[in-house]
Amino acid sequence: MQRVLQRTIILITFILALILAVMPMSLAIAPFRPEWPLLALIYWIIALPHRVNIGYAAGVGLAVDVLLGSTLGFHTAAYAIIAYPAARYYSRIRNFSLSQQALLVMVLVFAARLIVYLFEHYLNNAPLMWHYFWPALSSAIFWPWIFLLLRKTRRKFLVR
Amino acid sequence: MSTPLFIRTVSLRLRLTLALVLAFLLIFLDHRLGAMQQVRLYLNSAISPVQFLAVLPEQGLDNLVYSLQSRRALTRENDRLKRELLDLQGQLQRFEFLVNENDRLRTLLASDERTERLRMVAEVIAIDSDPFTHQVVVNKGTRHGVFIGQPVIDADGVVGQVVDVGITTARVILLTDQSHAIPVRAAGSGIRAIAQGVGDTNSLELMHVPHSTELQTGDLLMSSGLGGVFPEGYPVARIQSILRDESLPFAQIRAVPIANLDRIRMVLLLWDEQSDNQPIRSDEGGTD
Repeated sequence: MQRVLQRTIILITFILALILAVMPMSLAIAPFRPEWPLLALIYWIIALPHRVNIGYAAGVGLAVDVLLGSTLGFHTAAYAIIAYPAARYYSRIRNFSLSQQALLVMVLVFAARLIVYLFEHYLNNAPLMWHYFWPALSSAIFWPWIFLLLRKTRRKFLVR
Repeated sequence: MSTPLFIRTVSLRLRLTLALVLAFLLIFLDHRLGAMQQVRLYLNSAISPVQFLAVLPEQGLDNLVYSLQSRRALTRENDRLKRELLDLQGQLQRFEFLVNENDRLRTLLASDERTERLRMVAEVIAIDSDPFTHQVVVNKGTRHGVFIGQPVIDADGVVGQVVDVGITTARVILLTDQSHAIPVRAAGSGIRAIAQGVGDTNSLELMHVPHSTELQTGDLLMSSGLGGVFPEGYPVARIQSILRDESLPFAQIRAVPIANLDRIRMVLLLWDEQSDNQPIRSDEGGTD
């Protein structure tokens, strides 16, 4: 029972992140939209690496693929690849300060976007658009708040 | 609960390998073979609650603004709409006369009669946040008879076509997506061309037009009906610039889409009266 509740909490945070990822925004700030699903994913991986790792990453990636209408598998692959170092070195990442973590998040989001861009470029002839990589920066800026918010949620509901 | 102190890296690597194999299989099936239509239908339907939830705050705000509007503003808007309706009805009478005359002339010439188009209003519920694709999601799906390849227009001109359907949602690819092209004909001269998207919401490119073309800046391009997806005679774009650089094989022609693709809210889905796909109308109004 406890485990079902805990899994529900994790799923709810992912669903909220997905909603934020497609919520309509004004065109002026839309390019800076942080990559919410990836932020939630990174948090849960470093918090509970034994429960949330590459399986969840692939699932969330697939949901993002369907939501954004990109070719199925692009985000699935990107998120799975990003999840690997996070799950592998979670104990080290936990000891980072928040600002160091934010830097790491920037690198991870950038890498995920780069992977998706490379797929789009080689398979769908997408041109290079620098503003596609802005969310790496905004994700890093939002990371400390997301981290604290999700940690509070996790502690409140005793998700282990 | 006993969790191991360290994740065994072997199992992690195995998982990564499995996930990547799955992802590449998906990419291969979806991109190379296009074999995922049926699966996409289920996935789109499964994910549609997220899309409806995502527009809920915006719709709530819109409703709030609407219900807070003063009586005066509403009366004013009502008056304006009545005048507009009168104006349009006046035009419609003339239009019906022309349609009848056209039909008569066509029968005289023994050519096919034009078929009627059926329409249904759909609301845009999500604009893509992925910059590589120009797509919107509308709130009509297979339940309403929407099919893949269906033409979509708005009040001004052609918007695009349906590429993906779910049960209650459909994904519309816009004219300006870089993988989309539409056959057009210039309204005045009748010159045919193909207008391809370039990935910019405000621009289309006319492909393979020779330098000697008679097209001019400001020409209106209508859908030509060739290719069988879009019906004939809907406005598509207006030519913005023609660059005749002799060092290039073709003239560089840019056109601006007539429909306001960057701020569409309502669109019309079109059905051919004589095809197998027919609209399925349920309880709700808002259709004609």
